[in-house]
Amino acid sequence: MTLSGYEALFFWIFALAAIFAGLLTVMARNAVHSALFLISSLVSVAALFVLARAEFIAGVQILVYVGGVMVLFLFVIMLVNVGAEERGKDEIFNNQRQVAASLIFCLLLVGGVLYSVNKGYRGLQEQHKIAPEAAAAQEANRDQSLPRSATLTSRRTRDSEGLAASLYRYASLPFEIASLLLLVAIIGSVMLARTLRQEASADDVDPEVLKEEMIRDPELAKLEPQSE
Amino acid sequence: MIMLNFVLAFLFQEGARSSAELMRESAAHPDLSKFLVIGALLFIIGVAGVLTRRNIIVIFMSIELILNAANLNFIAFSRYLSTTGGANAVAGQIFTVFVIVVAAAEAAIGLGIVIALYRNKETIWVDEIDLLKW
Repeated sequence: MTLSGYEALFFWIFALAAIFAGLLTVMARNAVHSALFLISSLVSVAALFVLARAEFIAGVQILVYVGGVMVLFLFVIMLVNVGAEERGKDEIFNNQRQVAASLIFCLLLVGGVLYSVNKGYRGLQEQHKIAPEAAAAQEANRDQSLPRSATLTSRRTRDSEGLAASLYRYASLPFEIASLLLLVAIIGSVMLARTLRQEASADDVDPEVLKEEMIRDPELAKLEPQSE
Repeated sequence: MIMLNFVLAFLFQEGARSSAELMRESAAHPDLSKFLVIGALLFIIGVAGVLTRRNIIVIFMSIELILNAANLNFIAFSRYLSTTGGANAVAGQIFTVFVIVVAAAEAAIGLGIVIALYRNKETIWVDEIDLLKW
């Protein structure tokens, strides 16, 4: 795979955008700003997916991450109180020694990962040696062979077709298990986020705990379902 | 200057003896290794966020960043295999779908835990959440 021309330009733009937005996610003081920077990082990575000809995954990334998960994050940020952090009263990082230790660890990790990518990629390159021009010609050829769209201005990609066929042919059982996982996650998060009042009205609290809590909040007694 | 040259050469995957010409050539034709380097950098930014931040919600966001870096690697290798005629090149994209599913489930559960925790402890700083510490 080799990108060239405008694709190379856009690759560098989106790659730098993803990395800077990622850095700002980690460094922003306000959690809402963090979430917004993470959204821009995810969108940039989605653009990189498009450049790698994974259009369906790019769409899923934007729909699920930006449309779903990040909205959830923003709601939770607004539910919990982060005022002190915004006003700059509280420290946003751990204490200095922990930060220094983890940064040293991260630098070692950078060195190790980049070294191994370098080493491994050179080995891979020797297996499939191809000049950049030849690779670009190959890619152009490949794009030319795609069917034209109805308006004749662009080409139709076969990406989602191939993905769907493979997904149902080779991974249909994992697909079903994933849907079960999502169901469990939905039920679990609903159970976790209930208030004591909601738990009491569903008769889901330990009687001893409920007795203690009733002393603090007499309203709870009314909510208890009459079983007999 | 030599040091800088070396670092740049390291980033652009061309070895220490490469000239500026080779580097420009390599930057004009980003290939698999560039995707891998971007993925590695995003991963490490995520790890740094998990290790250094105090806000539990930002830690969750850093975990999303890590998972996304892994997705980028999967997609890059899937594309690489499809151009070199690998056996089942779409496998990387299938994996990415599952990673996204698991990330969504993890975010839902994790944020549910954050809300329950905030109700009971009135804090989102991870260094104040030490109930299980002895």
